[in-house]
Amino acid sequence: MENNSPLSPHIQVYKWHVSSLVSIVTRITGIINILAITLICFWFAFLLFGESNYQLIKLFLNSFFGKFIAIGITWSFSFQVLSEIRHLIMDLGYGFEIKTSNLTGMIVIIFSFILTILIYLLGRQFI
Amino acid sequence: MVQINLPENSKVQKGHYYKDKTGSKNIRKINVYRWDPSSGENPRVDTYEVDMDNCPSKVLDVLNKIKNEIDPTLSYRKSCAHGVCGSCAMNMDGKNGLACTTSHADIDGDINIYPLPHLKVKKDLIGDLDGLYKQYESIEPWLKNNSKNNNDEIYQSKKDREKLDGAYECIMCACCSTSCPSYWWNGDKYLGPAVLLQAYRWIIDSRDEDRKERLQKVADELKLYRCHTILNCTNACPKGLNPAKAIAEIKKMLATT
Repeated sequence: MENNSPLSPHIQVYKWHVSSLVSIVTRITGIINILAITLICFWFAFLLFGESNYQLIKLFLNSFFGKFIAIGITWSFSFQVLSEIRHLIMDLGYGFEIKTSNLTGMIVIIFSFILTILIYLLGRQFI
Repeated sequence: MVQINLPENSKVQKGHYYKDKTGSKNIRKINVYRWDPSSGENPRVDTYEVDMDNCPSKVLDVLNKIKNEIDPTLSYRKSCAHGVCGSCAMNMDGKNGLACTTSHADIDGDINIYPLPHLKVKKDLIGDLDGLYKQYESIEPWLKNNSKNNNDEIYQSKKDREKLDGAYECIMCACCSTSCPSYWWNGDKYLGPAVLLQAYRWIIDSRDEDRKERLQKVADELKLYRCHTILNCTNACPKGLNPAKAIAEIKKMLATT
């Protein structure tokens, strides 16, 4: 009888809030960043094999999909950096109150987008 | 291991619908998780229409009303009804809490009531907490004082006593531990917020002489460091305690000593 006991619903019913959302996104962006760094290493490796490869990468990065990837990676790095700063502060023992953690979580989310836009504008030499 | 989907025997089915018989105009739908160990069927969610005009303010009152007036087969734990014993911990509206201190007026729409998450269900809203109690026992939650004069009073300064504030109030209702995704995936090894808060409570007790051993005991990749500061625990605690901060303090103590 005991072995037949069902497992009560968990992630299916549990409500999300700011810090759980930031936590899971940090994990996902972490994985994306590892893939992104691998990708960037491949780009550099290709460059060693001549100029035609450079043209190919340039073509790719200027396509819609390439731009999406580049901006996506920028956001993913921005989020990771900000979230890790939040984690460092938490490791010092601060920011565990519900209000503070919600606030710092919101800051991470909002500023990850702002940072992405800033990096984009800087990269395009608009500012 | 991370297992997002529920096992086959745990998939929740649509259950019975209990229509209101009082003719009241102030009706609320209450969806309650049900599982009967003798039926051999999958769990289901029953819906009850409850007359809110004649119902006191807390979710536990709603459950009592259902049990007394609509369906006496409903099972759930309860005892003090004043937020002290921790028996009626359950998942209401997607958040863990005590049914006796959660107002149904604070919940929008239909009220969804489930057992505490990721536990083996014994019946309806009753989850199996044996694993958690075993872990609690493993941290040896009692005073260890090896000094010779066992009969003497052990003095504690006001300042040292204050360190226990926010830790000793825990009623072991398991709201925090069962809200923690890390505890869902690694509940067999990771101690979880409730037990770690108690571990912290004994580590910082100035009267306890086993501090070093206690610290070493929890200093384990899986027992302690599975805490990834998701903060579901602190958000769930019905007593307003902060297990996440206590865990961070333990980590800090280990890093600095």
